[in-house]
Amino acid sequence: MRQLPHDPGLFAGYGLMPGSFDELIGADGVPRPDFQRLLALLGTRVPEDFSRMQALAERALLNQGVTFSVYSDQRGTERIFPFCLIPRLVSASDWAHMERGLEQRIRALGLFLDDVYGPQRLFSERPELRDIILNTALYLPRLRGIRPAGGVRIHIAGIDLIRDGRGTYRVLEDNLRTPSGVSYVMEGRILSKRVVPDVLELARVRRVDHYPARLAETLRSVSPESPEHSTVVILTPGPYNSAYFEHSFLARTMGVPLVHGEDLFVDDDRVFLRTTRGPRRVHVIYRRIDDAFLDPESFRPDSMLGVRGLLRAWAAGNVTLANAPGNGVADDKATYAFVPDFIRYYLGEQPILEQVPTYVCAREEDQRYVLEHLEELVVKTVDEAGGYGMLMGPQSTREEREDFRQRILAHPRRYIAQPRVELSTCPTWDAASRTVVPRRVDLRPYILTSPQGPWVLPGGLSRVALRAGSYVVNSSQGGGSKDTWVQKEAV
Amino acid sequence: MIARIAENCFWLGRYLERAESTARVLQMTGQLALDAELSAEHLWTPVLAIFGERRAFTERRGVEREADAEDVQRFMTWEETNTSSLLNTLSAAREAARTIREVVSKECWEVTNELYLWLLGDAGREEYEHSRYGFFQHIRRMVQLCLGLFRSTMLHDTPLDFIWLGVMLERVGQTARLLDVHHHVFSGMHPGHPVVETALWLSLLRACSGFEPFMKSHSGRVTGDAVASFLLFESRFPRSVHYCLDSAYRYLVRLCPPDADAQLPGRRTLALALPLLAELRPQALASPDATVHALLTRMVEGTAELCSLISEEYFGRSAASAPQVLGTQVMAG
Repeated sequence: MRQLPHDPGLFAGYGLMPGSFDELIGADGVPRPDFQRLLALLGTRVPEDFSRMQALAERALLNQGVTFSVYSDQRGTERIFPFCLIPRLVSASDWAHMERGLEQRIRALGLFLDDVYGPQRLFSERPELRDIILNTALYLPRLRGIRPAGGVRIHIAGIDLIRDGRGTYRVLEDNLRTPSGVSYVMEGRILSKRVVPDVLELARVRRVDHYPARLAETLRSVSPESPEHSTVVILTPGPYNSAYFEHSFLARTMGVPLVHGEDLFVDDDRVFLRTTRGPRRVHVIYRRIDDAFLDPESFRPDSMLGVRGLLRAWAAGNVTLANAPGNGVADDKATYAFVPDFIRYYLGEQPILEQVPTYVCAREEDQRYVLEHLEELVVKTVDEAGGYGMLMGPQSTREEREDFRQRILAHPRRYIAQPRVELSTCPTWDAASRTVVPRRVDLRPYILTSPQGPWVLPGGLSRVALRAGSYVVNSSQGGGSKDTWVQKEAV
Repeated sequence: MIARIAENCFWLGRYLERAESTARVLQMTGQLALDAELSAEHLWTPVLAIFGERRAFTERRGVEREADAEDVQRFMTWEETNTSSLLNTLSAAREAARTIREVVSKECWEVTNELYLWLLGDAGREEYEHSRYGFFQHIRRMVQLCLGLFRSTMLHDTPLDFIWLGVMLERVGQTARLLDVHHHVFSGMHPGHPVVETALWLSLLRACSGFEPFMKSHSGRVTGDAVASFLLFESRFPRSVHYCLDSAYRYLVRLCPPDADAQLPGRRTLALALPLLAELRPQALASPDATVHALLTRMVEGTAELCSLISEEYFGRSAASAPQVLGTQVMAG
């Protein structure tokens, strides 16, 4: 491990992780040129200060109830998503590149969804993709032929990015259904403002607090009625959902009602809210419940969360659902492998962002390769989220690999494999040792799409694997978050 | 507003008010125990009666424990099976606030959440063990802070109306039961010892946060009848039965204005509230066979009826599915 040569203070003794790209510190051990002044300023904080600030920040999060619910406990235990005060910095030029790439990707994915639920032109040119793409429970054939009101399907996207060992940004995963975490972005920024205002000011960071207003505007822009006469609501599964904090956060900051399924009803293919003054028409629903639970009439009959008849109202064009039902076919982990093809096919452009090479086990030659190289690959189950159902080849045992071999042979469509990418690291406060240590991070930017096109929130959720050596950044598995500071262009 | 949210607002108000009242009664009884020459039985049994939890307590702990100050306090503070315990009312208040976080202001939510975390954490337990007075004081202050924040940080609109409706109706019941129980206990003891008697009536006023207001309005002349009248009828005192019921009535009128569409819910509730309020005058005690107890019983029962009608008309609950109203029992006359 290399040590920083002459930097005193907080970053003294910071050792880079071999093989990883560090977000803030160059391979020579010196802070990257864009971030030098900031790191020098942050470095003047002594560990005592930092410990105290860190404790204050976590206490504030707990008191404010910035928490996610843990399902295992019946009484509904809530935990904070640990927050690290050392921000993740993104230079203006890196951001500009990412922003263009994300917009391009979202446009292509939107066109892909229109095509899959419409003429399916793609399959006449690429017939071999038909089975791979349509063979997922996330594709809802009964929705074919429906054009959603407002014309947009991916109103809110969260695209997971990582940086490989050379620092190249790569898309890891598309989240086009109910991506969460944006509330932590805004709460994280509030904490930064409170505890390191001087550093934040010097950094010339682009703001993120206008996201709720932009979201509200986006949702109104796709209403079947005129935006100014539209009622927008957020539909939540309720206080026991792990992301309930976020649902109420968005409702509060957008000033729109947060509703449960029981608060809504459908009459004459129109959606109404039950109020103390009688029924009130609803035009746009930002739903945070899964497709399968949306409408007991169309999907799971046992769903208590949804609204009977909602899909009919949506198909009739009387209500907008964000995101549109059926989007899962486009963020399926197997479909992911073909997104660069979509960009070329639908836009006639070369993809701006790289992604991770992906073997789709449903394809025979890919499958053969995967089975021969299990020890080197990361195998993922396509329909599991949150780091579950994975085989980390290089760290796996013979039994685990054999287990996955059998699983892949039995259900090839359920598995994909990727070479392991060394995630980049970011200097992170370690409370136990009271030092700054490198920890792996990813980044989830949020993209809003209105009929005018996509807009990317400058920043996003940086998730960090808090455990030494860990690659897992998920909140449910011991990850934490950092504020993401996108620097303004130099004037 | 959404019916479910209205219901949560209403219960948020009720639970917070109940928690404050419980903390206040326990605190004041603890104080009274220090200087009144009363048996523990005369001090702590009434506390259980006020909250309508006497039977639940004796079933779990036995009749002989009713006079045990520590047992009664623990039961009213920490007991998980007691729906009226501070632990349960504050958890319920916090859960209601969490469910409608987008409706209550951030400040209100934070106070409710902090209080809950404090109570469940080490800090609350320690305070309970080492400074009982401070423990109850902390709860009272935080609840009062929250009630104040409702007024000063939220839109004065329907959600707030439902919160205050809950606060006011809960307060009617609290004051009525407090007065009823003490009136019953005090009237039957220490005949003719004015100093002791005065101390008891003053403690009742303190248990209602009414000591200073009473002194101001009565220039220091304390009698049992005057205290009872004050807590029943004083329209300037924010915890008198009249003030609370009148205030609840005003919220009901705001929710269902007389000139509004006839389809609007709330008419039956209003029709029930008005005669109840009309009964609440000093003349009601004028006839020789009228008793304070009978009037209070009428008020407690009428308020409970009002609450279930609100549940039905505004929250879309059938009478059977309405949540059980906390502690509706009244001390047997």
